[in-house]
Amino acid sequence: MSRLLFISYGLTVLVSVSVAGQSPSTTTPARAGYDVDFIGPPLADPVMQHAKETYVLFGCAYCHGVTLTPRGEATDLMRSALVGSDVNGDRIVALLRAGIPQTAKLSPMPQFSDLSDRQLHDIATYIHYARQEGRYKQLVDATPGTGDAAAGRAYFDQQCASCHADGPSGVARNYDAATLRDRLLRPPALSAVPSFDVGALHAEKMAGARERHNHLLENYTPAQVANLIACLRPR
Amino acid sequence: MGWSAVLGLARSASVVAGQAGAAARRNNRSLVGGVQFGLQPFCYHDLAMTPENRSTLVHRLVQNGMGLVELHATWVEPRFTGPGITAEAAREKLRAWRLGNPVDHYRLVKKEFDEAGIDIFTCYVNVNETYTDAEIDAVFAGAKVLGARGCVGSQGLDVSRRMARFPGRHGMFLGVHNHDNLSDPDAINNEASFVKALGFSPDVRATLDTRHFTAANGDCIEFLEKHHDRVSSVHLGDRRKNNGRSTPFGEGDAPLIEVLRLIRDNRWPIVVLLEFEHGTLRPAVEEVQLMFDYCKRALS
Repeated sequence: MSRLLFISYGLTVLVSVSVAGQSPSTTTPARAGYDVDFIGPPLADPVMQHAKETYVLFGCAYCHGVTLTPRGEATDLMRSALVGSDVNGDRIVALLRAGIPQTAKLSPMPQFSDLSDRQLHDIATYIHYARQEGRYKQLVDATPGTGDAAAGRAYFDQQCASCHADGPSGVARNYDAATLRDRLLRPPALSAVPSFDVGALHAEKMAGARERHNHLLENYTPAQVANLIACLRPR
Repeated sequence: MGWSAVLGLARSASVVAGQAGAAARRNNRSLVGGVQFGLQPFCYHDLAMTPENRSTLVHRLVQNGMGLVELHATWVEPRFTGPGITAEAAREKLRAWRLGNPVDHYRLVKKEFDEAGIDIFTCYVNVNETYTDAEIDAVFAGAKVLGARGCVGSQGLDVSRRMARFPGRHGMFLGVHNHDNLSDPDAINNEASFVKALGFSPDVRATLDTRHFTAANGDCIEFLEKHHDRVSSVHLGDRRKNNGRSTPFGEGDAPLIEVLRLIRDNRWPIVVLLEFEHGTLRPAVEEVQLMFDYCKRALS
């Protein structure tokens, strides 16, 4: 997509959001040649929308699905260990460059070495976004289990304590389980569309926290979430 | 080889069937400059290949000006999957359905396409080792009722060898379709493996996928020059060499214009089935139209 087209599309999104005054996920782009039924409505964040369009435009969606529901023999990126362990494209981009020529599958994963670094990173960015969206839905839809507070504490100490040094009591709040789960999966302070205000752009602590929580969201199991809730809810 | 042979029927039925095929071809809406086009409806990414979506498929084919299609079996056959039904149980039910000789069902499906002026050229069925001989025979018998000249699939060499004795019983052909997996010795992925498969029976035909053949660093032009009399169709799409990605027509390494002109100028009765797997932001019907228009310009 040309830069001009992207900018004009971004503006279209922004205008439609401000005019409609509603969640951008419910707006429909008035843009010819955009398959809203297949790609879905535009995202609130134009940068993420561009990443999504890059993912679609270079054919990833054809096999792996726009929402990471794979087609045919393609790898399920929602469950892929490689995606789950990737940090800022460090594993995905290398794989995209090389493809997977040696495989038992009918069609090997193609290589995308002709794409720019930026394009490859955009693809990785969207894969993570889509995985986070999908995992959030799966975890919210999962039957809530009775968590094991001790196991939750052990998980907290291992995964969370390096930032939340006050321990579970430092983040526990008197929320019901569902609210606590939502805030655990998507901390409100980290969920806003990232600002390009220079101060915010270089707020490394916030960026690191967002990255860390997104990584956890991509890898939580329902049992781990239930355990954390049991650990964090005041008794 | 003329149209009568590629339309399938290499033996006693070939003359009659060939005349009928040629007559149909003359009136086909997607015959362009002497080249018969059709569609592999895998292209409609957003449309699940189910019986429920078949009427939408027919509508879209007409929208795209297509008069010929390669129809995946899943558009035709009932689904037996569902809550509480294991994959094995569903597979058994499908097998039983096929063996039940559901001629009326196939006739009704054929009528839907006939009424829209769409010729079912081939049926795409991915036969594997779970298929019994009787089931393979039933697949060809069903495809025959649909009006198909052959069955095509992505099966490897071993399964192709097993299947090769069945199409002749129905006056049909078996189409073998290449992919670009060069690490699998059973895969059909280059000229040598195609030649092996074609050697299994005179009823075997090549379905040359230009995308995968190019990605496997094959030369489509050279292949067609040498083997055109055993090629029933090409799946026309573009990709980059060296296991590269799929691209819009004209942006990859597949010699699409040359392939089209080769078929036209030699009057080879090779059906051109448009197929794309490249990404697009456009609705699939628009993208198919762009591809078809590209081909029309190539032949103008």
